[in-house]
Amino acid sequence: MLELKPMLSALWRNKISAMLIALQLALTLAIVSNASVIVQDRIEKMARPTGMPVEDLIAVTFQPIAQDYDMHGAVVADLDLLRSIPGVVDATHTNQIPVSGSGSASVFHSQPNQEIGGEVSNYYETGPHFMQTLGMNLVAGRNFTPADMRVVQPNEDARTQVAIITRQMADALYPDGDALGKSFYNSNGTDPVEIIGIVERHLGAWVSWSKAGNVIFFPRLQENNFKRYMVRAEPGRRDEVLKAVEKQLAERDPQRVMHIETLSERLERSYMSDNVMVKVLSAVVTLLTFIVALGIVGLTVFWINQRRKQIGVRRALGATRANISRYFLVENSLIAVTGLALGMAGAQIANHFMVSSYSQPALSLPVLLVCALILVSVSLVAALVPALRAANISPATATRSV
Amino acid sequence: MLKMHNIRKSYRTDTIETHALRDFNLEVKEGEFVSVTGPSGSGKTTFLNIAGMLETASGGQYLLDGEDVSGLNDRDRSRLRNEKIGFIFQGFNLIPDLNLFDNIDVPLRYRGFNAKERRRRIEKVLEQVGLSARAKHLPAQLSGGQQQRVAIARALAGEPRFLLADEPTGNLDSLMARQVMELLEFINEWGTTIVMVTHDPDLARRAHRNIQIVDGQVSDLQHAVAAAEAATA
Repeated sequence: MLELKPMLSALWRNKISAMLIALQLALTLAIVSNASVIVQDRIEKMARPTGMPVEDLIAVTFQPIAQDYDMHGAVVADLDLLRSIPGVVDATHTNQIPVSGSGSASVFHSQPNQEIGGEVSNYYETGPHFMQTLGMNLVAGRNFTPADMRVVQPNEDARTQVAIITRQMADALYPDGDALGKSFYNSNGTDPVEIIGIVERHLGAWVSWSKAGNVIFFPRLQENNFKRYMVRAEPGRRDEVLKAVEKQLAERDPQRVMHIETLSERLERSYMSDNVMVKVLSAVVTLLTFIVALGIVGLTVFWINQRRKQIGVRRALGATRANISRYFLVENSLIAVTGLALGMAGAQIANHFMVSSYSQPALSLPVLLVCALILVSVSLVAALVPALRAANISPATATRSV
Repeated sequence: MLKMHNIRKSYRTDTIETHALRDFNLEVKEGEFVSVTGPSGSGKTTFLNIAGMLETASGGQYLLDGEDVSGLNDRDRSRLRNEKIGFIFQGFNLIPDLNLFDNIDVPLRYRGFNAKERRRRIEKVLEQVGLSARAKHLPAQLSGGQQQRVAIARALAGEPRFLLADEPTGNLDSLMARQVMELLEFINEWGTTIVMVTHDPDLARRAHRNIQIVDGQVSDLQHAVAAAEAATA
């Protein structure tokens, strides 16, 4: 026996306070659902596989103090040294640190002499050891050999004849899935670069880039004025290896400025804004939900106190305790459902605006429904304690004159 | 119909225990119209609350329609209240947000009648109290006398065998009070047992029997009233 019709007419006569709570719920749902979808998006982003054993990797950057520095010789000596350190799996030179937010990119085409279109890709200049050092999974073709390597001077044409690319980039260049053995070109370029290998995935330099995962590896060493190495330690030995790397590189050549850090630290820094966003939005969602719950508790307590006599009369006329509790819970549910229906429309409108203006992720119906369900539950739990207390109002209240 | 034996009711605070009723004995027979009078604080309302199962007694035995209600749980007491007792309150106690139809509907919904049966009963009692045309009006749109007639209609809709009235004319002027009293007498003539708490000696005299409660105990004044009337005549 839900008394819906008389309940609705009673609510209509107290519509201001009911509508205020309904609107508060609507606004909360609009904010909470959109915040949730952003939080979910950021969490998924941070949980993406990088394609590397991040916990085992160490990044080294150095710049020699001397002007006429033999960079090629230094790289060869350094890498030999690094690979000889106990606990090191492998080491490679590189032009950029993965997931660091700093790197190189260019536009590449599947056809020669193309000026427009093409596919933007992050690219590495590295060598045959990058595959083992970065722990990548070669799914087609072969790794670089020393014969593929080019050592180039600054201002020299740096193009290589071969490259290894990620599967994502391969699919972008050749959507039919037959990229291996085919070539790609620079913009307006005519010299082909043959795709000799395809790796499963690699996130590249920019974690927040919409095309993170478009990555090309060229077998190249440029003799510019700084150089980077990636060092892979055996699992669990990274910190020990890091100390040894720092000490031995400094001992081999103290005349250079060197920075060494773990890739985990770099990745954490790259995701710092996402982490902050997740924490702030989660706090906002929790706070709003708490405030709406307080509002519901407040309104229910207010209405119950206002209707103490009426509750006593209902009890005198035969209402059981359960009837009274149910009355307030159903009344609360009616307000909640009205507010959440408004909120679902509001959430969609707000999301449409955020997608078009701020490139935020789209709000899916399941997320919206889950948020609405959570808020209905919060609203019911908030109304439950006052509703149970209302049931304890004595039927004798009906005969009291005050 | 109603039988109370050695009913006791006390209220306890941290420091004081107040005895509202003690050794309270009363029997009301089916079809009787009994008025209950007594000074303020004598225990009239406590008696009414216990008779209407709005409160439980601290001790003693209470039989309603032959059933011992002293040990019933809240659910069974609610059911019995709904089925056997009609209440008329001094302040009418209509629900201000509901129209007359929905006000009368309240106890019928708790009884579990279907919509058709509820409508039949509501239309019948509204006609009996002469307010059929006002079914969609809110209580605030009616006079005090009309509101009390609605309250009586609500009490009658469940066709109770026992009507408890708490100062039913207390908030009405003399004309309206007379109309309400005539309505109660009419209802009693149909066979409904009525117990009415009142301060008004004229109304009390119109009952078959007057009970006076003093200091939480009952004194049956039926013979005293008759003797007083005889002396006056």
